[in-house]
Amino acid sequence: MAADLNLQRLTREFGEHTAVDHIDLIVPQGTFFALLGPSGCGKTTTLRMVAGLEEPTSGHIRLGDRDITDLPAYRRPVNTVFQNYALFPHLDVFDNVAFGLKRRKVADVKKKVSEMLELVELGKMADRKPGQLSGGQQQRVAVARALINEPAVLLLDEPLGALDLKLRRQMQIELKRIQIEVGTTFVHVTHDQEEAMSMADTVAVMNLGKIEQMGDPISVYEHPKTAFVANFLGQANLLKGDIVGEENDHLVVDVHGVKFSVPRSEAPVHDGRIVIGVRPEKITVVDPGVTTLPKNQVAATVIDSSFIGVSTQYLVESPWGQPMIAFEQNRDPTDVARPGDPVLLGWEPRHTFGLDPDEDLKAGLQESVPAL
Amino acid sequence: MTEEKRKDLSKLPPELRPFLSRRAFLAAAGVTSAAAVAAACGARTSTDVATPVDAEITTEAATGTVVWSNWTLYIDVDDAGAYPTLDKFVAAESIDVDYIEDYNDNNEFWAKMLPLLQSGQPTGRDIVSPTDWMAARWISNNYTEELDKANIPNEANLIDALRNPGFDPGRKFSLPWQSGYGGLGWNKAKLKEAIGTEDMTSVDQLFDPRLKGKIVLLTELRDTVGVVMAWQGADPTDFTTDQFMEAIDFLQTQVDNGQIQQFMGNDYAVGLENGDITAVIGWSGDLVQLGEDFGFALPETKGNLWTDNLLIPVGAANKAGAERVMNWYYDPAIAAELAAYVNYISPVKGAEVEAAAIDPALAENPLIFPTAADLEKTFIFMSLTPEQEDEYNAVWQKLLGN
Amino acid sequence: MVPYLLILPGLAWILFFFLVPLLSLVATSLQKRAGTSLSEGFVPALQFSNYTSALGEYFPQFIRAFLYAGIATALALVIAYPIAYYIAFKATKYKYLMLVLVIAPFFASFLLRTNAWKTILSADGFVVETLNALSLLPEDRILNTSVAVIFGLTYNFLPFMILPLYASLDRIDPRLVEAASDLYASPATGFWRVVWPLSMPGVLGGVVLTFIPASGDYINAQLLGSTNDKMIGNVIQAQFIVLRDYPIASALSAMFMFVLLIIIVAYIRRVGTRQLV
Repeated sequence: MAADLNLQRLTREFGEHTAVDHIDLIVPQGTFFALLGPSGCGKTTTLRMVAGLEEPTSGHIRLGDRDITDLPAYRRPVNTVFQNYALFPHLDVFDNVAFGLKRRKVADVKKKVSEMLELVELGKMADRKPGQLSGGQQQRVAVARALINEPAVLLLDEPLGALDLKLRRQMQIELKRIQIEVGTTFVHVTHDQEEAMSMADTVAVMNLGKIEQMGDPISVYEHPKTAFVANFLGQANLLKGDIVGEENDHLVVDVHGVKFSVPRSEAPVHDGRIVIGVRPEKITVVDPGVTTLPKNQVAATVIDSSFIGVSTQYLVESPWGQPMIAFEQNRDPTDVARPGDPVLLGWEPRHTFGLDPDEDLKAGLQESVPAL
Repeated sequence: MTEEKRKDLSKLPPELRPFLSRRAFLAAAGVTSAAAVAAACGARTSTDVATPVDAEITTEAATGTVVWSNWTLYIDVDDAGAYPTLDKFVAAESIDVDYIEDYNDNNEFWAKMLPLLQSGQPTGRDIVSPTDWMAARWISNNYTEELDKANIPNEANLIDALRNPGFDPGRKFSLPWQSGYGGLGWNKAKLKEAIGTEDMTSVDQLFDPRLKGKIVLLTELRDTVGVVMAWQGADPTDFTTDQFMEAIDFLQTQVDNGQIQQFMGNDYAVGLENGDITAVIGWSGDLVQLGEDFGFALPETKGNLWTDNLLIPVGAANKAGAERVMNWYYDPAIAAELAAYVNYISPVKGAEVEAAAIDPALAENPLIFPTAADLEKTFIFMSLTPEQEDEYNAVWQKLLGN
Repeated sequence: MVPYLLILPGLAWILFFFLVPLLSLVATSLQKRAGTSLSEGFVPALQFSNYTSALGEYFPQFIRAFLYAGIATALALVIAYPIAYYIAFKATKYKYLMLVLVIAPFFASFLLRTNAWKTILSADGFVVETLNALSLLPEDRILNTSVAVIFGLTYNFLPFMILPLYASLDRIDPRLVEAASDLYASPATGFWRVVWPLSMPGVLGGVVLTFIPASGDYINAQLLGSTNDKMIGNVIQAQFIVLRDYPIASALSAMFMFVLLIIIVAYIRRVGTRQLV
């Protein structure tokens, strides 16, 4: 049977503050779903409502065709991997993992726990107390403790937040492997967009209690629908302009006298004012006079350039004084432009997206985690 | 004036009341918070209206400070917390008095002083205030200074009945402070409810089965056992060990059958007021303070007449000053003022006349100014040898469950 | 060398404030009377019969002390635990106010507090009248019964139970409770499997801190009990202050300390090693 997780008009208010604001969401069974957003966006509250640890102010939570909104946490077929793990300090690894099985009086506890510990590669640690384990090991115990109950949905609340970068990357791969192996629905809450994109089948970007945009990582990244998503998920150059014409399914947008093309299908409006955007890695940086550039072009002056190995990141100033960023792949590091150099920027019209003209261009900038 | 004072007392919450009268608060509990509650302390140097009294007597100059340990709330106190009669003394005689209310219990105070007395160290006190039997212990151990009567001309006012106690014939070492009775006390309403009368006259009534679990007796051996022995026909002024044990045995049966609820110090007053206790062997002053709804009587078979005494510990720093204090309180006018407040029996001749001037009802109160007929109904408990003291105390404590 | 010197003040403290008084107590407990009366004092001796006669004479009060203190400690635990739990987990904003309220009774004298209960538990008072109306009191009263003594002990030593429990519960991460509930433990199961074992240090501390003073107490038995409710503290007190039979009093004190020590050690070994992390 289909056990899709289905949130309907789900709302949670804390006094005057609405943490989660009428969310509608379907997580298909077996998918790896990431709830992504800055801290305070309501993603953890959403997760806790699914777990049964927080009561919704209104709305419904369904699992398949079963309404679990009013079920207490301990009756719900969902399990959670807590932030900082919340392992029971007085129980050893075996008893931590066996906790849920024993509560449900499941048979064969010993065998199941051993198998689960093998899956997370902790077979030899069964009699250790959590305090004697490293962070990564504790993390695996937390996953094992939840997963062993074969939940319909596994909820992960910033599960990798406490790990260092290298371990985090390793655990991301690990978690993905486990998810594929067991086929359980994973709902993963994180504020790290790379983590979300690298692991999830579907990403939902949350802001101010609402889901701003949802879809597979590539489409959300490539076609952000709001300034917040554009800025929070990676980086973006957002330019305000006026639609001055149309040619071949493209709108012509005038930005301070410079003309850019944006696919008609990417634009939410078709006349008047508009915001257009392009991601920095789509931009090619060349010396003035080079003619083999894509159609959208603008002259600029280099303010700063930094060589970071895989690429060179440029901060440039447009003719109308707006700073822009561009990344150039490190194929040939000999011709790096210097601050003060005039350059020409160019990108394909199909890499350009359009946003509503009323968007706040700075939305999501403060909260985003810098790309690493 | 007296009425006002009594009203003041009755305004206090009942749980504080037990701290208010002079007798053994929490007998032998060895706790000093009673003094803290009473909240009175220290040196009196206030310059109240001076009333020069008996100016004709002068002896060698007595100056310095007199340190006096007395029972709590056993002296007149005004609304400001000062002691009027003592302040007048300070003003009249230019002798400071450090009045300390740290005499909570005869045994406890003795236990505190004994190591000092035994090792010959000063006690730091010029006057202490033990009850007769404890005064006997101080005197027989030679732990007191002999009084210089030349400093105490007012000693002539001591009533005859108290001039020659067994432990100090001729009052060479001690002078009475106040006296009182150990006798029957009761809650009138509760008594009427239980046995149909508002009056008690006999110890028989105490042991009426209808009062089962509603009577309380004093933890003071001499009051309780004395009253019971007298009721059994023995003479508390001269009894045998067998007679003493007979009283103890009887009391044990009354504990075992549940007639006696408990033995208490003067906190029985709270129980009487709350209705927990219907009748007691208690102290006259307490029952007077409790007011109209409560009765006190000496049993037909006699009650205990006890006296608290002033005496000067051996080696006192200001013996002459202490004697002047004693002299002061043997002035009938001062004695009357004191009696009006503390409600116990004044040992001073002429105080009754002075008291009539303050409040005629006061002078007529037989519990403060007893008649000869009243005193006929009392006994003074026999002096015990140290061996008797040990033996009787041991069985007595056993009876109390200790 | 220096580290060893640093423990000298501690050693001196133990020596002067514990060892010396203890030895003096034991020495006194073996003295015998100098003459026919107690007022003649005592001389050093090795009179071990002081112990046997004291125990023979006052065995009931011994048993009663540990029995009453044991019941009072159990009651205090049952009453204190929900209070401490509430303060630690639920009283977010009023946490410190509530802690102050727990300690507040300490600002009044122990004696005064106990005396106040005489009024509250009096025959004409609300408590007794209510219980009597329900026919729940065999003797028609509470005052001067063992019930009152145990109640007084429970009340007076309750903060000694609440504070260690609170300290221990406050350290428990509330997410552990959520984790238990996430893992199919009902609130009751979650409590027994997670909160209770993790609060064991507090339970242990509270029980010890309550039981010790309660078993040695004499004020409650004195003020709230009858002659049949006296505890060993009352006996020691009377022997020291009223009778001044110092050897017997010392023998009783020494035995009391010894038995108490055995009970506490047995308890800590049993509970302590099993449950502590």
